[in-house]
Amino acid sequence: MSYGYTGKILHVNLTTSEIKVEEPDEQFYRTYMGGSAMGMYYVLKETPAGAEALSPENVLALCTGVVTGTPISGQSRLTSVAKSPLTGCIGDAQGGGYFPAEMKFSGFDAVILKGKSPKPVYLWMHHGEAELKDAAHLWGMTTGDAEDKLKEELEDKRIEVLQIGPAGENLVRFAALISMSNRANGRTGMGAVMGSKNLKAVVVRGKQKPSIADPEKFKELQKLAKTNLEPTGMDSFGKYGTPEVTSPQNKSGGLPTYNFNSGTFDKHEEINGITLYNEHLRGHEKDEQNRFGRDTCFSCSIKCKRVSQIDEGPFKTDAKYGGPEYETLATFGSYCGISNMDAIIHANALCNMYGMDTISCGATISWAMECWAEGKITAEDTGGIELEYGSAEAMVKMTEMIAIQEGFGKILAEGSQKASEIIGRGTEDYLITSKGQEAPAHMPQVKRSLSVIYAANPFGADHESSEHDPAYKAYPERMEQIGLTNPQERLALNEEIMRFAMVTQHLSSAVDSLSVCAFIFGASFQLYDADNLVEVVNAVTGWDTDMTEILAVGERRLNMLRAFNSREGIGRESDTLPKKMFKRPLEGGRSDGYVLDEKEWEAALEDYYRLCDWNVETGHPSLNKLESLGLGWVVAENQALSQVVS
Amino acid sequence: MKINIELMGALVDYLPASEKGQSVLTLNDESTIADLLNHLKIKRRVSVAVNGDEEKGLEHVLSDGDDVLIFTVISGG
Repeated sequence: MSYGYTGKILHVNLTTSEIKVEEPDEQFYRTYMGGSAMGMYYVLKETPAGAEALSPENVLALCTGVVTGTPISGQSRLTSVAKSPLTGCIGDAQGGGYFPAEMKFSGFDAVILKGKSPKPVYLWMHHGEAELKDAAHLWGMTTGDAEDKLKEELEDKRIEVLQIGPAGENLVRFAALISMSNRANGRTGMGAVMGSKNLKAVVVRGKQKPSIADPEKFKELQKLAKTNLEPTGMDSFGKYGTPEVTSPQNKSGGLPTYNFNSGTFDKHEEINGITLYNEHLRGHEKDEQNRFGRDTCFSCSIKCKRVSQIDEGPFKTDAKYGGPEYETLATFGSYCGISNMDAIIHANALCNMYGMDTISCGATISWAMECWAEGKITAEDTGGIELEYGSAEAMVKMTEMIAIQEGFGKILAEGSQKASEIIGRGTEDYLITSKGQEAPAHMPQVKRSLSVIYAANPFGADHESSEHDPAYKAYPERMEQIGLTNPQERLALNEEIMRFAMVTQHLSSAVDSLSVCAFIFGASFQLYDADNLVEVVNAVTGWDTDMTEILAVGERRLNMLRAFNSREGIGRESDTLPKKMFKRPLEGGRSDGYVLDEKEWEAALEDYYRLCDWNVETGHPSLNKLESLGLGWVVAENQALSQVVS
Repeated sequence: MKINIELMGALVDYLPASEKGQSVLTLNDESTIADLLNHLKIKRRVSVAVNGDEEKGLEHVLSDGDDVLIFTVISGG
């Protein structure tokens, strides 16, 4: 009897239409636990070295975790893994909502997709069975329309759909996977990978609830949600959502503004979470936004999702497309110098409708705006659109054009790094990318550990891969649970900060393998702490794991990601930060004058490599490290990898 | 003594909406950060900066005219 997981992995060959079910043993689940690590297992086994990201050979793994679908806050997440068309490195993106739990209920822990269907199809996984169905009539539909159509043709309003929108079909390099028309596996272009396979959607439905090994202990842990709610402040987090951090970020000089040239936006109050709640969430006119303007994920009591609706005007928005998170407020807002909340809400909806990553989309547009300000891009390039900082109309127009690959949107749909290669003229000086992925709205100049995390993270600049610097001092008891007991001063960039970065990266990696929510389980502000996470895993599965084992799963996942890149010949030379972070001091506010020192940063990078046991010159993981994590097989089975690790 | 306080993010809810997270409070002399948080009925974990210096502990004694910033450390989004 398996607890937590179904014991079934679905394998789908889209070229041949062959569908198989694999039933791995318990040790497999205990080694990888699901999500990112499990996905990486299949990617490393089945994607050949050198495969192109948009080719049939690129395996796309969609994996839940061993606790997904159990009735506790924060477990309904799914991780997508494949080679990224945006970065050329491994790609990895998490998403939540109700789809992950329902996929577990449909009878499968994960689905591994390879090949390319000769015609558009969707995968229907239901009640322990799976089949491919024709999707020609859905191709070209926005996510909302496609979901409605699927509910109608399958005659079930309770199906859950993970799909691509037109942007994924059009192979926009930062296309996302979207569920509920408003939740996203956003980053690294997993939507384009699905589009390249002619797969429109994965649709799931089922009633197979996971079994729980220790229901008494599980009940205790469920009750802890209520006990912890106020002391952790997660009640407020639920009320205002991630957007609540906008003005605090600004206060600390860390709200990216004008394409990362400043950490302060004078109009931050117009785009912050309090303003969003009071003046823009659905129902706010009658003071009913608490009821109608918030949404949640399966079994989560926090309800932190936003719902916005604009009834008329140029930024008219249907509530089904959700509401902006903090990152989106920043990338379409302060990055672009825009303070028009309606425009940001509308751009967010466009991304959900067409299926795009709001971070890369907004940040690609802000890069183009800086190029415009510097005279490197003109109306001749943009077809007359004046891409000025602060222009809400231009930002929204560009978002639409990117989604359908029209005009200048066709170039921006490549992502800012490839767009700069196409345009030339020195536009690469304004990039804010690491490994070709645009930086999210947390600034390495202010939170120094991110200067190495963004650079060295195998799937590019990412803010959900580790805890952020202020957490070390602010949450000493929780940090102690994961072995961190030596908080540093603000702006420090030293070996201890690198230890903090690496250990919290391991915890994040475990969170993304268990596929749970980083706002519910973690070592800082979260509803549950890291010890609780171990308890939840044990209560559900009946295992006797501990923190060491959970962190080892995380370290295993990180090294699998790293090994994938190494196998492609990608090492230290790609662990870079945008040039401007070393050359251009930030302007204004608390971070006025902040700039990173390249030598200090390099020393920290090398500290990080040493702590990880990765080769300091090449950046490749050591053979010793891989073997100690049970990953000797990855080296043995991949000649290209064995040539670079020692 | 009078203390100038600013509450960040969701903490604005600990003051009347009209104050928008900023206020001047009158506290007894020798009040500590703990006394201030008690006065505001803030039970959750917060970080406090006084006159620009970060991370003062609960036992820190306040002075007349201090600028106190109260915030939470949340990341992500």
